Amino acid sequence: MRIGQSNPRRRKPILLIVLVAISLVMLTMYFRESDAGLLHTARRVTLEVTSPIARLGTIITSPVRAVGDYFEGIGASRERVLALEQQNEELRARLAELEEARQENERLRALVDFAEERKFAKLGAKVIRRPVSIWEGVIVIDRGSDDDVEPGMPVIAAQGLVGQVADVSSNSATVRLISDQQSGVSVIVQSTRTPGVVRGSLDGSLSLDFVDRAYLPVEGDVVITSGLGGVYPSGIVVGDVISVDDRHGELYPRIKVASRVPVDSIEEVFVLVGAVVDADPGEIE
Amino acid sequence: MTRWWTTAGALLGALVLQVMIAPHIAVFGISPNLLLLVVITLAFVEGPSEGATAGFVAGLLLDLLSTGPIGAWALVMSVTGYLSGSLKENLFAEGWLAPVTVGIVAALTADLVYLLVVSVLGVGPAFGSAIVRLVLPRAVYNAVLVMLVYPWLARFLRTDRSMKSFRRLA
Repeated sequence: MRIGQSNPRRRKPILLIVLVAISLVMLTMYFRESDAGLLHTARRVTLEVTSPIARLGTIITSPVRAVGDYFEGIGASRERVLALEQQNEELRARLAELEEARQENERLRALVDFAEERKFAKLGAKVIRRPVSIWEGVIVIDRGSDDDVEPGMPVIAAQGLVGQVADVSSNSATVRLISDQQSGVSVIVQSTRTPGVVRGSLDGSLSLDFVDRAYLPVEGDVVITSGLGGVYPSGIVVGDVISVDDRHGELYPRIKVASRVPVDSIEEVFVLVGAVVDADPGEIE
Repeated sequence: MTRWWTTAGALLGALVLQVMIAPHIAVFGISPNLLLLVVITLAFVEGPSEGATAGFVAGLLLDLLSTGPIGAWALVMSVTGYLSGSLKENLFAEGWLAPVTVGIVAALTADLVYLLVVSVLGVGPAFGSAIVRLVLPRAVYNAVLVMLVYPWLARFLRTDRSMKSFRRLA
């Protein structure tokens, strides 16, 4: 340790005051302006400019991720392989049953002339950027307004719901994940049809709120979108119930849900770009 | 004295790395703030005014990259840059202890002030859990990175005299 300067320089923080004032003006502008305002436009331009850099980063780091995945796969034990094989057999049997139910459902729908559920065109997209800040749960995909992507469109993956398009530039779009703290999805528990809301959190975990304690789900129950609110179509898998804590004295039980989508490693997603009437097989959900 | 283009180059490099690399080196979901490292180093090397200016520019870039309110990071990193520079000038420490102390305090300040700002604006998360889950882990992560990159970054930013040791840098 040493004795510091006997008379440390005293500066007038005029510059700091000016910078803070400019920041506050920008904050005010941000909340007052429309989506077409200066700051919102600047953000879209930044998204556009940084998209190629983010894409490059994904390409550069992909070999490292691939090596990691390879070694992770090597570590799978014989017991795990056997368990997965058994699960595969069970799922194949279940698939056959479900196919039978689907065909029966179609026949019955035709008999009673039930309104056809909306079908959506799926637009494939690559994830080119992951969250740059820990304060937000968003990813960036390589599809934008040039591909008819619009804010509010649902984004899914093979495993289930990913999130919703939040902002769009010409060649890229920001997707707010369902695990983001500002996200909320209207859902039902598939087995009991109990409604609730799945909400994200800071650490990316999901909670199922506002569930009637008279219809408590159990661990393993599947949670799907309800279609209420009109944001997400009904029937998309949101996740599985992993814990139910029915504490006395609380209005609603604490229910945790685990998404099936590996958000940290997901590389491809689908944007539901709108209802379609006729389309080629494979494009329709 | 740091040449302006050296500072601009460091900030631009940090911006590119923040977009390209930072999301992929997240530890337990916590990614580092690489722009903050440049701001802290610059403030430490050059002083509070330069730190505040660099902080403002870096913060604005981070605001434009993220989805939060624009101006929040600019405000936070201006304050952090100024604080880092002021702390260094008034710190009774030398050698490795000085940059480490400034790094830890600045890293902690940045996310803590950001949490305060977004909470005041009504778009922030639950305060207590944010401190435990985000602010403290990221402060540790950023502080460790400051220790790792400071000697090299300071040497790059301060080109007017040769620096051959960590002790001299501090």
